[in-house]
Amino acid sequence: MTTNETLVLALPKGRILKEVKPLLQHAGIEPEPAFEDESARQLRFTTNHPGLDIIRVRSFDVATFVAFGAAHLGVAGRDVLLEFDYPELYAPVDLKIGHCRLAVAEPRDLMREDDPSRWSHIRVATKYPDVTRRHFAARGVQAECIKLNGAMELAPQLGLCQRIVDLVSSGATLAANDLVEIEQIAEITSRLIVNRAALKTRPRELDTWIERFREAAHAA
Amino acid sequence: MSPTPDKALLPAGLQDLLPPQAAYEADTAGRLIAVFRAHAFEQVKPPLIEFESALLSGAGAALSQQTFRLMDPVSQHMLALRADMTTQVARIAASRLSRAPRPLRLCYGGQVLRVKGTQLRPERQFAQVGAELIGSDVETADVEAVAMAVEALEAVGVPRLSVDLNLPPLVGALAEELGIDDATNAGLRQALDRKDAAAVDTLAGSRAELFRGLLRAAGPADVALERLAALHLPPRIAEQTARLSRVVELLQTALPQLALTVDPVEHRGFEYQTGISFTLYARGVRGELGRGGRYETDESNGRCEAATGFTLFMDSVMRALPPPPPAARVFVPLGTDAQRVRALRAEGWVTISELSASADAEAEARRQHCGYLLQNDHVVRLEPDSDQSNNGESTPTTTDDGA
Repeated sequence: MTTNETLVLALPKGRILKEVKPLLQHAGIEPEPAFEDESARQLRFTTNHPGLDIIRVRSFDVATFVAFGAAHLGVAGRDVLLEFDYPELYAPVDLKIGHCRLAVAEPRDLMREDDPSRWSHIRVATKYPDVTRRHFAARGVQAECIKLNGAMELAPQLGLCQRIVDLVSSGATLAANDLVEIEQIAEITSRLIVNRAALKTRPRELDTWIERFREAAHAA
Repeated sequence: MSPTPDKALLPAGLQDLLPPQAAYEADTAGRLIAVFRAHAFEQVKPPLIEFESALLSGAGAALSQQTFRLMDPVSQHMLALRADMTTQVARIAASRLSRAPRPLRLCYGGQVLRVKGTQLRPERQFAQVGAELIGSDVETADVEAVAMAVEALEAVGVPRLSVDLNLPPLVGALAEELGIDDATNAGLRQALDRKDAAAVDTLAGSRAELFRGLLRAAGPADVALERLAALHLPPRIAEQTARLSRVVELLQTALPQLALTVDPVEHRGFEYQTGISFTLYARGVRGELGRGGRYETDESNGRCEAATGFTLFMDSVMRALPPPPPAARVFVPLGTDAQRVRALRAEGWVTISELSASADAEAEARRQHCGYLLQNDHVVRLEPDSDQSNNGESTPTTTDDGA
């Protein structure tokens, strides 16, 4: 039994973090100075609120920390939430940051002669094997997923497989690798996520923070 | 580190419970059931395996994917290993106890087996204890189920309990009332389960405000009920929410200290519930300790009756409890009068009898983790070792040893 009285907010490292900062400021959360230092080894940071700490983890891990109740609140992309589909997570606020889409792409040459309606099995390189499998299963196609953690665009070039499922924002990376987007799976934005048991057992505190983030997202 | 022999490896989700946890869990389950029995819920013991057709009919169908099956070489029928005991108790009520006076109060405790654990609760085999109140559909029955679950959990020492009251059939009924098609309803259901306000807005279209209102009507009971009352719900739905507020009121009177929240749209895991339901949480503990609510017993088993009840998950309950208090163990030297040792046990001591005479009884007592030693017919407390080495021989004896 671990009873952690301090609320923990999990934030994703990297691209999204920059977009989260103005929201934090609007919600009245000021992390300690070390938080601004990207090279710091510190992983947990205090804030101007004695009852609220911030942790900085990989975007996929935000959902895991919050689902297990190790963190109470977090910011996670809808892509991550779709992939894990943890029943312990609530996503009450669309923060309207980190806009992009989860899409299927394939080489330009392949697209010219490809007829997706004839597919029974395809091989896909992706960071999102679960979403991919579910998406294709829903239309009767078995997707064999090769889990990669980055540089998906290389897979078709080097013959690992023909198709990829990845996040696309401008489409520039796809174009540079001679790939075209053939189908969109989902629109993605970042959400404020909350642990279910934490929301039920500490409703007042968590509702206050949810409300602050909701206002911050509306104001932005 | 010594290599683990292959034989020690268990299949995923299964584990050996060791001392003192095994005894603590059995003891806790017994104390929970004792509270149910003190409320006149009589214990039943259904079998571990049943005919698949019976176990998975009606409400049991919800657990079909989670159920292990095997072929019975005797009857040549498929058998299913229970993944939940509620449907078994409902079957007993509708068949063998159909003539027992209503309302019928039954309780149970036993092991269940599931095909898959979840990432959060990986256990595939775990103990359930629970109670069912069958043949009454009044509000006071709803209150009795919640209040008894709370009383039992508090009695075994679960700190900082919190009860979330839910209305699982509400969204389905509302969608029907508003003429929302099935496909949209399924999507809406999923969005509401995740409290995904953005998705609710997109799916509910012109009704978005109403559904957003339902989402916001979750939280501490008073606030939530106030927000729920302010929504313009169709009369058939408003009846359900009115009942919910009366149940909350009764619970607040009965248990003024209880942390009570309301969440009208919670639905996951309540697939067969037909009315007021609830989930039990303890602050700081991952996941839920138990859940329960209103349902109807299966018609095909006899008659269809209104029922309510709950199930506690022992693995979660044990996670919520502080570590067990160590037993008072007394070391009894060889040759002590058997009647004397029996009397010690009657007083509540755990006695450890010496099997072959040892040179130093005190050292032997320590080696066997005894906090006490029977010396000259008196129970003497052994001072804890100054260094925590477990090897009795190597620890220096403290002050005066009585041997």
